[in-house]
Amino acid sequence: MFFSKNRILFFLILSVIFVLSLTMTAAAENDQQKAKSSEEITIAYVPRSLDNPIFLDAFEHAQEKAIDLGINIEWVAPFAYNAEAQINIIESLIARNVDGMVVSVNNTPEYIEVINKAVEKGIAVATFDADAPDSKRLFHIGIDNYEAGKVTAEGLLEVLESKNIDYNSKNKQLKTMIMTGVRGALNLDRRINGFLDKVENTNIGVQDIVENQDSVNLSVELLEQYLQKNPDIDIIFFVGGWPFYVPAEALPNFQRWAKNGGVAVGIDIFYDALLLQERGLLHYLVGQDMATMGSKGLSTLYNYIKYGIKPDEYIETGLQIANEKNLQRLLQTHRPWRVK
Amino acid sequence: MFNNLIKKLFNRIEIHTIRTKLIISFLVIGLLPILLFGLLSFNIYRGAINDRISDYSQEMVNRMERDLEDYISEIERFLSREQDFYINQFIKLTQANDFRNNRKYAFRIWEDFNNLKQMKPGLEDIAITFQDGRRISSYGTFNIDLEAFKAKMYPNLSGDIYITPPYKSYFQQEVITIVSSYYPEIAEENVLISADIDLDVLANLTDFNLGKKSYFLIADQNGDIIYHPEKEKIGERSLLYNDGFPDRKISLNGEQYLLTSTFSKSTGWYIISMASADEVEAELNYITELTIYMTGTILLLIILLALYLSSSLSRPIQKLQELTHRASENDLSVKIDISGDDEIAELGQSFNKMIRRINKLMEQNVKEQKLLRQLEMQSLDNQIKPHFIYNTLDLIIGLLENKDFDRATHMVEALGKFFRLSLSHGKEMVLIRNEIKHVKNYLFIQQFRHGEEYEYIIDIEDLEIMDKHIPKLILQPIVENSIYHGLLPTEKKGLIIVKGYREDKNIYFKIVDNGAGISAAKVKEINKILTGELETNDQQKYFGLRNVDQRLKLMYGGSSGLTVESIKGEKTVVTIRIDQRGGR
Repeated sequence: MFFSKNRILFFLILSVIFVLSLTMTAAAENDQQKAKSSEEITIAYVPRSLDNPIFLDAFEHAQEKAIDLGINIEWVAPFAYNAEAQINIIESLIARNVDGMVVSVNNTPEYIEVINKAVEKGIAVATFDADAPDSKRLFHIGIDNYEAGKVTAEGLLEVLESKNIDYNSKNKQLKTMIMTGVRGALNLDRRINGFLDKVENTNIGVQDIVENQDSVNLSVELLEQYLQKNPDIDIIFFVGGWPFYVPAEALPNFQRWAKNGGVAVGIDIFYDALLLQERGLLHYLVGQDMATMGSKGLSTLYNYIKYGIKPDEYIETGLQIANEKNLQRLLQTHRPWRVK
Repeated sequence: MFNNLIKKLFNRIEIHTIRTKLIISFLVIGLLPILLFGLLSFNIYRGAINDRISDYSQEMVNRMERDLEDYISEIERFLSREQDFYINQFIKLTQANDFRNNRKYAFRIWEDFNNLKQMKPGLEDIAITFQDGRRISSYGTFNIDLEAFKAKMYPNLSGDIYITPPYKSYFQQEVITIVSSYYPEIAEENVLISADIDLDVLANLTDFNLGKKSYFLIADQNGDIIYHPEKEKIGERSLLYNDGFPDRKISLNGEQYLLTSTFSKSTGWYIISMASADEVEAELNYITELTIYMTGTILLLIILLALYLSSSLSRPIQKLQELTHRASENDLSVKIDISGDDEIAELGQSFNKMIRRINKLMEQNVKEQKLLRQLEMQSLDNQIKPHFIYNTLDLIIGLLENKDFDRATHMVEALGKFFRLSLSHGKEMVLIRNEIKHVKNYLFIQQFRHGEEYEYIIDIEDLEIMDKHIPKLILQPIVENSIYHGLLPTEKKGLIIVKGYREDKNIYFKIVDNGAGISAAKVKEINKILTGELETNDQQKYFGLRNVDQRLKLMYGGSSGLTVESIKGEKTVVTIRIDQRGGR
């Protein structure tokens, strides 16, 4: 009786195992069918613009990483920054159904909408350099912008000390101009916040915040105009390295102002910025590791697409510092981007 | 039945009246040229508009072809560039996967390509494509499916460049691409250099206003549509293709179009203009309507004018006709009253003048007849006086007793002729020849009666006057006066000369006698009475002279009549002047 009962139970258990094994085999076959070979995977990088050389490190290292991974990489953007044009390019990537994209965007509704549209279509989206945390992007790779601002402020205080400028005096305020890209760009705003928090208890006071619309040419023009009108400004904080791409000769007011004791600090380290620092126009720079943003950003997204490995939401690439001590070494390691 | 209807209709229109004839004449004269002119003008204008549209369409497609060729030529010149250091370096380093050194060339190429885009409107992208599908363009770097891209390309006529039909570019824009090969000196592998042209460039090239329904399109040599304002048709085979796109009038979707095309050699494309026939003819319809309205208005004006003119012309004529009819019915009191100075008014005035003249003549005639009858009666009175008759008959009896039958016969004959000519069968006018005969008979009889106490001479110098007509009994009363008042009162041998001659347009008779003559005062009185300077209440006074004078004046006017000259005791000359120019 028991045997007969056990035989029935045994038969039932065998049947369940058989059905489950069949189901699992089919699912595994499905997954295998879905998985693409590496050669078929296309990941697009969409920097803010092509004309900003800060992205060239990321461009270079992303391409190298793509060769290593054996995938197709695209590097597409409007030549000069234009939100609408950049969104159109992201739309075209969605239309072509790329496998993934790594974009440098703003946390604005238009960008959030297009990122979410891509994600809903099954495209893996990550951000680099500038984040849109309110979107459904998979992860962000970049620096801790707040920290970058704070470190820049710390470097400024060091420079002021070395120049014997009292930043704690109640008698005199050190007038400061901040140059940023656009207000509302999350990465830039957080850099400003970090900077201001650090100098909060000093006599450093912000006189103006100038927006250059993420344009190199406009940043140079605005800087020169500002110093023409405000030659007595004490400190300039460059939230990004837009005006550092031109030679010192193209910045006569800036040169004169620096010679008269003006102190300039900024974020972004690249060859031309280091040359300006060497000539004493800039005094302290904090750099982003754009190369890692290119290579690691690509490999992380590839691993997610290819193997489903879910990354951390934030991947920090660390900060680099350029001061008097390491300037010459950095000039050796960084390369000029311009064709002579 | 139809013929009967037409006949009835025509019978109802009274075309025998001047008014109807005038109306018909005016309408025919006025309308025929206008209709012919309108029809001719309309046809000429229609032809001119068709020619103009055709020329305009041809000019448009030619201009588009030139613009297109210019645009494509510029792109071709750019694509056929000589060796470019930066491109060559980029190609070499890309093929070597040297991204570290390559990035600055990539940046330079992006910069260059974007500068070119800025300079050339409609240039959507410029790209260099490697044989493995890698591409660098003004938008960055990416990979394309090169085989699929090459499948789209077809060579132009010269074979040095390739063109694609419209397609969605990598960045989802509708473009056509012009492609050329580039052979870098420092690399073995050639690359493709290409330019994407926004379809809006073709739209701008064809942006000529030809009308709402009219449009332009561009098609390749196979008839595949390169550009069409209805974008869904781009890429389709054109229904208009007929071994090319020959110029013609065609029907498409129930619409008539005038197709005009030209062929671009550099692209191998046809540029085609489709001008809506309706729109072309809309202008013609406007002209047609205008012509009809104008013709209608002019027709109405002509009819009104014809009615007015015919009425204004025919009314006085009708009036004239009516009055003439009344005049013909012996109502000579009629008088037409027509204002103006035209021919009709003149005719009316002439009519009035004629009626006045008729009245006057009738009065004259009555007066003349009265005078004539008086004279006839006077003459007959004289002639049938018993003394004249008995005396004459006694003379004839005496001649017969003396067996002088010849003279008796002459006397009887003369007496008979005398009476016959006196009556002249009741005729008012007689030949001068007969009047002379009458005077001769009278003188013959009187000469014989009075014992041949006087002689007479009849002298007609110009014999052609013998056949002219004059009023009867002009000479005889004067001769009678000469006998009874001139010759008989004297004892001397008398002579009467009757002389007739012509001078200018006047016929003159002079009756001369060598009798008792008349005193100068009396001659003066007689002449004054004859000229009307002196009036007399005695109707019998100088009755013969006055009667003849008045009759001549009535018949021939005031310049005709009698004048009397005389020398007392010597002679009397009565001159009769008949001015033939004054004859009625």
